[in-house]
Amino acid sequence: MSVEKNLSPKNVADRSKKSRPKATPSRIQQNMASAKAIVDQKIVDNFIVHIAETEELKVTDLPATQVSVPLNLWLEEIDAIKSREGLIAVQIGVDEHPEDIAETLSDIDIIVLPFVNHVDGQAYSHAYKLRTRLGFKGQIRAIGDVKFDQLGFLTRVGCNAFELPDTEDLQTALRAFGEFSEVYQPSADGAKNIFSRRRAIH
Amino acid sequence: MYKYDSVDKTIVKERVAQFRDQVNRHLKGELTAADLQPLRLRNGLYMQIHAHMLRVSIPYGLINSTQMRTLARIARKYDKGYGHFTTRQNIQYNWPELADVPDILDELADVEMHAIQTSGNCIRNISSDQYAGVASDEIIDPRPYCEIIRQWSTLHPEFYWLPRKFKIAVTGATEDRAAVQFHDIGLEVVHNEAKEIGFRVYVGGGLGRTPVIGKIIKEFLPRDDILSYCDAILRVYNLHGRRDNKYKARIKILVNAMGIDAFRDEVEAEWQFQKDGDLKLDDVDFDTMAEFFPLPDYEELQEGDSRIEKWLSLDSRFKDWYNNNTVEHRQTGYRIVNISLKEHAVAPGDITSEQMDAVADIADMYSFGEIRSTHEQNLVLADVREQDLLEVWRALDAQRLATANIGSVNDMICCPGLDFCSLANASSISIAKQINEKFTDFNELYDIGEVKLKMSGCMNACGHHHVGHIGVLGVDKKGVEWYQLTVGGDASNKAELGTRLGPAIAKDKVGDAVSDILHVYREQREDDERLLDTFRRVGVEPFKERVYAEVN
Repeated sequence: MSVEKNLSPKNVADRSKKSRPKATPSRIQQNMASAKAIVDQKIVDNFIVHIAETEELKVTDLPATQVSVPLNLWLEEIDAIKSREGLIAVQIGVDEHPEDIAETLSDIDIIVLPFVNHVDGQAYSHAYKLRTRLGFKGQIRAIGDVKFDQLGFLTRVGCNAFELPDTEDLQTALRAFGEFSEVYQPSADGAKNIFSRRRAIH
Repeated sequence: MYKYDSVDKTIVKERVAQFRDQVNRHLKGELTAADLQPLRLRNGLYMQIHAHMLRVSIPYGLINSTQMRTLARIARKYDKGYGHFTTRQNIQYNWPELADVPDILDELADVEMHAIQTSGNCIRNISSDQYAGVASDEIIDPRPYCEIIRQWSTLHPEFYWLPRKFKIAVTGATEDRAAVQFHDIGLEVVHNEAKEIGFRVYVGGGLGRTPVIGKIIKEFLPRDDILSYCDAILRVYNLHGRRDNKYKARIKILVNAMGIDAFRDEVEAEWQFQKDGDLKLDDVDFDTMAEFFPLPDYEELQEGDSRIEKWLSLDSRFKDWYNNNTVEHRQTGYRIVNISLKEHAVAPGDITSEQMDAVADIADMYSFGEIRSTHEQNLVLADVREQDLLEVWRALDAQRLATANIGSVNDMICCPGLDFCSLANASSISIAKQINEKFTDFNELYDIGEVKLKMSGCMNACGHHHVGHIGVLGVDKKGVEWYQLTVGGDASNKAELGTRLGPAIAKDKVGDAVSDILHVYREQREDDERLLDTFRRVGVEPFKERVYAEVN
């Protein structure tokens, strides 16, 4: 994936279904499901299977259980997905754009942000946009390579659910939410800019 | 200098506790070395050839005497009795043990210091003019602006996992000593026609493997908008910067690939979303922040202390030091004193615990208890009364800190190189010694005048060789160290990248080559031209001919 290609004016403007690449290395490569999840800072059983994208994926291929679907499938078969039982959960890969589902956000219960590698921070900006300018009120769930030490900042940009690898100790990871009692800058968490706070103090 | 308030104290202390927990989890086997790596980097801790290296942040190079004594104690207690000042005004320790680092950070936090975001792919320490607040050509003190940006960028949740490191610099003077055109974002103070304060914004400058001079993205950005505009640039970079190749991941590559106009359009579109949001600053914010940087309580002094003339005529060593190592101050009766960390046979920027303690004492007695570190890897006492200069010189001289070579070819910038750094291809400290040995006659040094010699042990360019009047780059050729020379680089307002002289030179010939370049300069210079001026007039050829005539 080259920058030049990614950013040619054509690609920035044209987000039609045909132009959307599928099954890129930036998305999950196989279906995923953790045993447990952390939702609103509590450990709960997980019930979502995250479906990996393939060239041929159809709604009829999906298991009957609760799933999250790739963004492409959502855009292609929105009505079929809406008519399924359960919650509507849609994945946005790091190489996809939250703006593409702006018009359908009110139909979505959960947005899933898959991390293939936690050092790739694009999903932080996706979460921030979803919570602020796009006004998404549902659940934002980070999955994949997400661990203890990412939870604090992911929470600040708007994530409120996390699936960690099953090897991680979730009880220990809960400590991540209490590490900082002060912040300097606003994000999607309603925190105030330090400078506007100091205006009140000084 | 900046004094922490309760928010700053809380954040720094909680940050140390967080890192202590991460190190404990690692030592207990709960956090792998691979997972710890990006976390420790964001706390300034690298893994080098021999040991860990800890880089401590010194915002704007400001250090008070208490902090300096803490830096000395850390060097004694946890290291081998010395520290190393870097080209970004920070200090590095080369030998700390991982298990000790949380304690070191705690000791630093006690004196309002930290190592947050001194490495890793995040927004680094904001840098500025080393003479900020005292320079005679200053339009506005840049430090309150730097500090506003530093606080906004510290532990920023969205911009903590960027494609690559990100450096911001601010200058408030007519002469740019902060090299803003070689930063990811450079801010240069300007007034608009209505005399309002704002910034000319440069983006996508940098050194490293692909040196690029920053491009102007905005001619005038009102000062109220600096955070929202930086926020927009960072979001565009976070979403569009390359992550597939670390050598193509800096924002300069993105700006070049898109073109500055397309990049500007993206940033402007992004900016519209939060231009008037919570990041918008108010006049009172600048005033409040300026109060954090009070000017010292200067005395009303007469111009030109008569004793100076006498001292200058009586002692030639004092005279050399005065002429080379002190600089005019904006306040009458005061001078800026440079402390040379470029003593012959000492690695550039190195300082012992004893010297640090002595500098703290001298600062307490003669310079309001404050010290600064510089991009040139020296220290500065910014506010010395002229009447105290003789005593300050004697005190520094007793600590071997008064080598009268500031601005000369011996005052070179040098990365740690192959002696310490796991990235390096070649030694740089030994080359510094070789060049030092060529110029032991200080009269010759003074005759040559201002030469900024900058040296890096590999193409990552920590020694900023691209912008040295003379640049030296270490390269590896089949396991042998060779050196590539450039001439004519300039980090000031007239930003220029150095011109390559020719093929790389063998290790034992680098001193000769530098000597040749300076011979050509002395033969060809007109009037009071500096090396840089002569080079601009005559071009690279005469230098090239001389250097390679002898090599061949």
